[in-house]
Amino acid sequence: MRNRYRFFAEIRDGVELRHKIQAMLVCSTIFFAIFGAVIGSEHSIWQAFASAVKLPLLFLLTLVICLPTLYFFNTIFESSLNLGQNFALLLAAITVTSIVLLGFAPVVLFFLITSSQYQFFKLLNVAVFVIAGWIGIWQLSQGIWMLTAHDRRGARARSRIMRIWILLYAFVGSQLAWTLRPFFGAPGLPFELFRGLGGNFYTNIFASLGEVLGFFVVR
Amino acid sequence: MGLEKSEPVEPRPPQPVPPPSPAPEPPVAPPPPPAPPEAPAPLPALTTLPLTADEFAKLARPAEPLSKAEKERLAEFTELAAQPVTGYYLAHILRLLALGLLVILIVINLPLFNGLALARALPDRQALIIRDGLLLKGSGPEVFVIENNHKRWVSSLDAFQHYGYVWDDVHLVDDSFLKQFPDDRPLHVLLKCEASPHIYRLENDLKRWIKDIPTFTAEGHVWEDVQFVSCDYLRQIPNGPPIPPDAGPPPEP
Repeated sequence: MRNRYRFFAEIRDGVELRHKIQAMLVCSTIFFAIFGAVIGSEHSIWQAFASAVKLPLLFLLTLVICLPTLYFFNTIFESSLNLGQNFALLLAAITVTSIVLLGFAPVVLFFLITSSQYQFFKLLNVAVFVIAGWIGIWQLSQGIWMLTAHDRRGARARSRIMRIWILLYAFVGSQLAWTLRPFFGAPGLPFELFRGLGGNFYTNIFASLGEVLGFFVVR
Repeated sequence: MGLEKSEPVEPRPPQPVPPPSPAPEPPVAPPPPPAPPEAPAPLPALTTLPLTADEFAKLARPAEPLSKAEKERLAEFTELAAQPVTGYYLAHILRLLALGLLVILIVINLPLFNGLALARALPDRQALIIRDGLLLKGSGPEVFVIENNHKRWVSSLDAFQHYGYVWDDVHLVDDSFLKQFPDDRPLHVLLKCEASPHIYRLENDLKRWIKDIPTFTAEGHVWEDVQFVSCDYLRQIPNGPPIPPDAGPPPEP
């Protein structure tokens, strides 16, 4: 991953694809688990353990859910990438996301210890996830472009479809995160592995933003 | 195939199948207008098929040539891909960071500060999520439960236990914090059984008979708070003084 262009070229040429996929799976799982434990520590030790398991699960499930659409979109619009290459590219994006999250972990730890406002902590982490996710997606689109640059038929259509797919990926990820919540664990509430369904990610973030800015109190 | 039904069909020896003749020319198809060199070729009339899959693909979706900027970008990527890998310490740094974070995670989760872990050592007053069912206690002995942005005084230990509250869930807050919530009716345990018209209030393990409806409403009770239990259970609870105290001897449920 130090030279991503070479990495993409190797994926295009199918060089040690299986080995790359295994390495990325292991690395991303460990990094997500560490970051999950950091954010879960805000509530309790049990929440730390739960988030350490749930965060890798969140990203890998999102990958599994979104991979077929990416593959079929690319295939329909005449890309030469096979399923393994699509999987490797998407996993590379997720691994980059996990590395960026790990890089942010000391910052999150600092605010965890020095700030006690739950809504602020939650929004801070949402911002961190957005930044990390965006960098991962940017890496993915760069990789797909590089690998399919010579597949000129349907190139424009693929480019447009890729934008739609990124939206889909973001929606699936956020909804799955909402389904698997809590990752932070609200203070004053007992530990729970999963919270009941209801509400949605976006209204919750909007409400948290409102409370941090002093407009209203979240209940 | 041209045979009349009435004619007898004579068996004929198998004939060799003639090779397929080339497709006939379209009868009156005009020649396509001359197209510019870059323009996609028009689809031929169906009668000129069959085409091979590759031929059809070429006709169906023309290739979009790389723009100048794209060519430059691709050349740059190719050049970068050929460069030697730099930053050999990245993996080492990642390992160190992961290990360091694991150590910090363990340290901040150890209960080192009066039984509290560093990660949760800050007072939780600011971090409280105001929600229905939140238990708050100010400087006085009263415990309040938040409902619909109002605070309800939990009138007795019986009520506290009856509603399943536990002391670990009671949050100590400033009186000024409590004052922001208007008072609502106190939280009592009101019991009634199906076979009896009487309502009793549970206090200090005793049941107190509420004399009549005016007294019931004057005490701030509402029907929604009355809980139905079995008459046997109600009879087992010893009687306390009625409400009001001069109401006379309490009837048995």
